[in-house]
Amino acid sequence: MIVKPSIIDIKNIGYYLGKIILGLGFVMIIPVIMGLALNEINPVLDFLITMSITLIFGLILTKLCFTDKELTWMQGMIVVALSWFVAMILGAIPLYLSGHWASYLDACFDAMSGFATTGLILVQDLDHLSFTHNLWRHLSMFIGGQGIVIVAISLFMAGIPGVLKMYVGEAREEKLLPNVIHTARFIWLVSFVYLLLGTIALGVIGLNNGMKPFNSFFHGACIFMAAFDTGGFTPQSQNILYYHSFAYEIATIVIMLLGAMNFKLHYHLWTGHRREIFRNIETSALFVMIMVCFGVVVFGLSQLNIYPSAITLFRKGFYQLISAHTGTGYSTLYSGQLIGQWNHLALLGIIIAMALGGSTSSTTGGIKMLRVGIIFRALQQDIKKIILPPKAIVVKKLHHIKEVFLEDKQVRSALSITQIYLILYVAGAVAGMMFGYPLLDALFESTSAAANVGLSCGITEPAMPAALKIIYIFQMWAGRLEFMAIFTLIGFFVAAIKGER
Amino acid sequence: MKFKFPLNPILGITTEIVYALFIMLAAFLICLLTSLLK
Repeated sequence: MIVKPSIIDIKNIGYYLGKIILGLGFVMIIPVIMGLALNEINPVLDFLITMSITLIFGLILTKLCFTDKELTWMQGMIVVALSWFVAMILGAIPLYLSGHWASYLDACFDAMSGFATTGLILVQDLDHLSFTHNLWRHLSMFIGGQGIVIVAISLFMAGIPGVLKMYVGEAREEKLLPNVIHTARFIWLVSFVYLLLGTIALGVIGLNNGMKPFNSFFHGACIFMAAFDTGGFTPQSQNILYYHSFAYEIATIVIMLLGAMNFKLHYHLWTGHRREIFRNIETSALFVMIMVCFGVVVFGLSQLNIYPSAITLFRKGFYQLISAHTGTGYSTLYSGQLIGQWNHLALLGIIIAMALGGSTSSTTGGIKMLRVGIIFRALQQDIKKIILPPKAIVVKKLHHIKEVFLEDKQVRSALSITQIYLILYVAGAVAGMMFGYPLLDALFESTSAAANVGLSCGITEPAMPAALKIIYIFQMWAGRLEFMAIFTLIGFFVAAIKGER
Repeated sequence: MKFKFPLNPILGITTEIVYALFIMLAAFLICLLTSLLK
């Protein structure tokens, strides 16, 4: 029997959702300050309007649904799923008001792309977008990368029981520290330390390349936020190619790889356990998979002979590969070059890299390295069982922060999530093909959206069908939250309609 | 309050950057090998 959700369920969900919305509203003060400092009055008004709507909505929800009851797992998951959806709706308002998006749906697409750290864009005339709106685009990646719930927890949810259920719902099954609040603070510590270092590094490179001081550091901060959070937005339409700088490319590769690392690994490395980087299954799997995928890309590109020198192959081939594997979506190619110049084999290497993604509990999307490592270890174990005498006992361990015995439930969980990702990639590709796009293009774009990458083969543009925009929005949302929260939300709606009291 | 030099975080950051540079070096060697084999 399906049980209909009670009024307590709805009040609990509404109250915590309201708190998260309030958190989002307070963050909007950052672009407002930036706009005031730069005298960008119209953009400031866009944000003041949105901020007012957000804060009023958040206040109404917290007052109407006030509760002191602890969240259940089901409620926590629904709060997370809804908060990402509401963040998209509200975050899109200032974008739409700027006039750079053809429709509100397009603005919602870019807002979800930002929060889910994807990087696919429908913005028009990006090169003339205000600093204030540009900051918001990149800030949405910084918020989404760490997690919208993490922002709310850090701002005013300290000490509230049940926040762990929302933390887990944001695709972070691992707590770094016993307390969720301390975990959230450590995530911010890592992010802000790297924000400072990354902005300085990119700013200095920009200055050295002849950019104006303000522009070089503004671009540095924006590029850092989108690279570390493996998002892929840039302040200019030509993406990383705009900078024409090898140093900029090297710096962004380092930042993308740092963003693809598990926050739990950051914690252990920062607290003196430096050998962990050699022993961890995720870092080993990431290295091996990057090399394997790059091998496929290089093999494909060598058939074309378009990048004859090692440096060009590195700057064009490896850059796109690392951008795909870390789920960032930065590019050093002109739009259309990827699909127009590269052959199917090289594109397949990029698609596989996008599908795999980076580490768990990082800002990347996709299947993720821990699951790949678990599946390969389980396969290794099964092969050993066949080869060794029947009486031999095969014990398989893997190292992820500590030695872990591989159990069936871990393998089952890894395989289930992998399977759902593969279904999502293929379903998006089928949808693309239904709108008349070729198989490879449709698979490329679908994988890019669902794995929160942001590389595009040209399908994503303002003129694309509205239904496909909605499908990609769903893929970005589901891919970022790793499905559980979305499935729970769907189940909640089914229970609300079909359930019995 | 006594200031404690954050040696472990600095060494941790260095380790992470060296890991990223190592991946880049390995990739560059693949590029070099490919261009030499042509």
